[in-house]
Amino acid sequence: MAMREAQTRAVPIDHAVDVVIIGAGVVGSALARSLSRLRCSVAVIEKESDVGTAASARNSGVIHAGINYAPDSLRARFCMKGRELLMTWCDELNVPTKACGKLVVASNESEIPGLKRLQATGEANGVPGLAIIGTDEIARLQPGVRAVAALHVPSSAIVSPYAMTLAMAEEAAVNGVTFHLECRAIGIRAVEGGYAVDTDRGTVTGRWVINAAGIHAGRLAQTIDPEAPDLYPCVGEYLILDKQVGESLTMSVYPAPPVGGSGLGVHITPTTEGNVLLGPSDAYVPDPETTACTGKTADRLLEEAKAMWPDLPAHLVIGAYAGTRAKRTPPDVGGFGDFLIRRSPDADHVIHLIGIESPGLTAAPALAEHVVHEILRANDRFVEKPAEERVHRPWPTRFDELSEEDKDRLTAEDPDHGDIVCRCEGVTKHELLHALHNPLGVRTLAGIKYRCRATMGRCSGGYCLPRMVDILQEEHGWGPEDFVLRGPTSPAFAGWLIGEDRD
Amino acid sequence: MNRRVIACILCPNGCELEVTWNGEPTEQSLEVVGNLCPKGTAYALDELTHPERTLTTSIRIRGGVQRLASVKTASPIAREAIVAARQALRPMVLDAPVAIGQVVVEDVAATGVAVVVTRAVARRSGPERPEPPSHGGERTSAG
Amino acid sequence: MTERSRVADVAVIGGGPAGLAAAAAAAEQGARVVLIDRNPQLGGILNQCIHDGFGLHAFGEVLTGPEFAERYVRRATDAGVSLQSNTLVTRLGPDGEIACSRSGQREQMRAKATVLAMGCRERTRGMIRIPGSRPAGVYTAGTAQWLTNLANVRIGRRVVILGSGDIGLIMARRLTWEGAEVIAVIEKLPYPSGLPRNINQCLLDYEIPLHLSHSVTCIHGKNRLERVTVSRYDEPGTPVPRSEFDLDCDTLLLSVGLIPENELSRRAGVVLDRTTSGAAIGASYMTNVPGIFSCGNVLHIHDLADWAAEEGARAGTSAARYADGANEGPPLEDAIPIRAGDGIRYVVPQRVGRSTDQVLLSFRVTEPRRETTIQVTSSGTTVGSMKLRKAHPATMVQMTLQTKDLTAPVEVTCS
Repeated sequence: MAMREAQTRAVPIDHAVDVVIIGAGVVGSALARSLSRLRCSVAVIEKESDVGTAASARNSGVIHAGINYAPDSLRARFCMKGRELLMTWCDELNVPTKACGKLVVASNESEIPGLKRLQATGEANGVPGLAIIGTDEIARLQPGVRAVAALHVPSSAIVSPYAMTLAMAEEAAVNGVTFHLECRAIGIRAVEGGYAVDTDRGTVTGRWVINAAGIHAGRLAQTIDPEAPDLYPCVGEYLILDKQVGESLTMSVYPAPPVGGSGLGVHITPTTEGNVLLGPSDAYVPDPETTACTGKTADRLLEEAKAMWPDLPAHLVIGAYAGTRAKRTPPDVGGFGDFLIRRSPDADHVIHLIGIESPGLTAAPALAEHVVHEILRANDRFVEKPAEERVHRPWPTRFDELSEEDKDRLTAEDPDHGDIVCRCEGVTKHELLHALHNPLGVRTLAGIKYRCRATMGRCSGGYCLPRMVDILQEEHGWGPEDFVLRGPTSPAFAGWLIGEDRD
Repeated sequence: MNRRVIACILCPNGCELEVTWNGEPTEQSLEVVGNLCPKGTAYALDELTHPERTLTTSIRIRGGVQRLASVKTASPIAREAIVAARQALRPMVLDAPVAIGQVVVEDVAATGVAVVVTRAVARRSGPERPEPPSHGGERTSAG
Repeated sequence: MTERSRVADVAVIGGGPAGLAAAAAAAEQGARVVLIDRNPQLGGILNQCIHDGFGLHAFGEVLTGPEFAERYVRRATDAGVSLQSNTLVTRLGPDGEIACSRSGQREQMRAKATVLAMGCRERTRGMIRIPGSRPAGVYTAGTAQWLTNLANVRIGRRVVILGSGDIGLIMARRLTWEGAEVIAVIEKLPYPSGLPRNINQCLLDYEIPLHLSHSVTCIHGKNRLERVTVSRYDEPGTPVPRSEFDLDCDTLLLSVGLIPENELSRRAGVVLDRTTSGAAIGASYMTNVPGIFSCGNVLHIHDLADWAAEEGARAGTSAARYADGANEGPPLEDAIPIRAGDGIRYVVPQRVGRSTDQVLLSFRVTEPRRETTIQVTSSGTTVGSMKLRKAHPATMVQMTLQTKDLTAPVEVTCS
């Protein structure tokens, strides 16, 4: 492990750029992408070993239609603008989305007024195609759902949240944005000509600082702006179901909005890869980095999901995950607060994005464009790069999803397309190596996983982990100490079994 | 009264032997119940007085298509000698190719028993295993 | 480039003991046989099973896994089987079309008969929903065995093992021999799942504690495993309150069950048995899809590779006969069913199938028993019975049943 730590922790960073972004989640990465289209220097500070590892990878992957937010709120505004931009961006980046639609179901008559309220809110936000439908129509759209009525939301869609974040960040990286990974921001302070972001590896100075630090944004804002509000972590746990289940469940199914809850209720959501998610729960927790799951919550997720979909095959659960929302409302209040976009009073060029929970994923591109707009509005000299100067870096289409002809052609060009390393997800050696050689220099198992899907299948790496270890040890000179799950503190192994093994 | 339940391994029947004795276990003091044949009684006594085990482990291979070849003691050795036998094998490295039955060492840890290869490993063709990636340098974008 | 030219009499998918034996047997019947395996070396799971205990029934010898595999590879080679390693079958059609892929080549072939011998995968942490964090250091026992025995990787230093099946017990010993501290083996049932010999030689020899009626109820450690919480279970499914204790460790091995790998089968229209998670078959090992046969761990989980190989040989022989034009008899759904009754967890084959004089039944009891009798009845008449001195769910039992005069459903019970 010593070598890995030397690589990342000992290299100090002290330099100045035009814009410093704190946090490489979906919002920070979207901002990095937007800024990478301008002629300006950008540095992103991210404390984890990869981008998008916190809330950005631990959500339902829903592109919200806009039915849940008061029309005059920032959440509504950025949701509606964000979803438009998100579709365009995902198209440009070749990130998979799916307009699967959503059913918000009423389990009894008393829940129907709640559906009508959602409908009214949605229509006020300009959401098209909303309709309260009955059991026949429900059965036609999504067989097996138990409900007396439902609000059909045709414009609700899904996206792969981690593919989206990675695609944006990596495109930004190849367009000149510097990513300082494993670099923790400690505080922001004003300096001559700008603002300094002090980190555990040095100081990066920028004319602008954008605080997109997720659950930590409040605390970080307070280092320069003591009046900035606190954020309260609220954990959401999920269960993941086998792709077999995605053959029967093809629309999102949400319960009628729980009164006073701090979440949208346990819902059932398909993913773009064909899995099905159950969740999330919602519970305030003290630890902002909570990612553990509890048995009681898993049982409750199944119970509540089964109430909406009785045929749910509970024996096909293949995994679980959890993440924290950045809530502005404290535990004794609950519910949802609005997005807060705050400029520090005496620090005009420091913009804080505070409390970006649902619909944060949907809103991310709009939040990014908004910040860019604010920067340009301040008469800054940044100009747009001409198209020829921009490097287009689309996310690769999954080999498994290509046509037979394309698969044949590619395999003839590069033999590694024929070597399937992950049986459950159909991931090829070519995809594995492409994931390994990413522009961010990430070499963690989770980083490889999120990029190519290896180990995300039903066997959780039973076949592909040995294949990956074999390829990396035999062909890329890795030793056991090079395999880390999420970073230097999560080593997968404890060295060689026998001897110092180097041929 | 001492009591042990021992699974006999001499044949597929796998009789469960209930063994009782007083004082030291000897041919005379031992009572064995549950065996289908007399070999079971002898096995029970052996198990209690000088148990033997087959060691199965791996040896490093140089220049082979696999890093390791599995090996075993050619016959069971005293259970107490297992640790020493394992230690004796640790520093050994064989050059590929190796064949099933190939002797790794004639007498491991003074047991009088040989250790033999149990898995063939062919010689690796092509380049040697690459050196580990060079470490150092900022992990930032390529841009 | 896709080749669409190859045709075989019998294609065998999977090169472990069952597949190798099936391929050899089919070739010995005169069929043109292709065996397809996704690993670089044939032998399947046997290559990582470097412990001994194989071959007692098949050869009267005590062999390690790799030695056992080598016997069957040689037999298949000598019989003229075309052996294709490093090749993954991506699709199996109900009409005998097989699509496969390997480095540099994608191929389609057609076989008159196909034998499914893909083996199994391990039940994972996610499937059994152990609460807690998801740190590095949690491995299924088979993966840990591969890492230890083939990749020369030390997975950790202080190990807890969940599950007292043979694979967990073997790994307890293996890791102890390699200098790890195996802190405990945890078993949910009130009795161990593995063979008594392995309890002796893997746990008792090393004084590794075995906690029966316990399970792991929480995993701790954000980045690398730090400890596990263990609780007692007097009733299945409900931990006893305040019975929990923590074990400090850096590695958790899960030996919590094997699942037949039937993705390909399912997509080919093969009907699976819900209890075994393997195909429902008739006496000839043919599934409901004409020409598709199944054997080995993909059919039902075996405890002895010797039995898996023998079963493979029977399936391979049937497949060769089918490819040669033999009549399979009535469709599977019309064949006489064989049911698991009281005390029996499952029976394979699930139907009698084509007209034949006898069938070999393989089954497992639901709980450990001593001095018990297996009864096979049909329309209230006893058509077969067998006395057993002892029976354990972990040990498969086999029994030949005469089928010539059977007309009504058959039930197997244990009392």
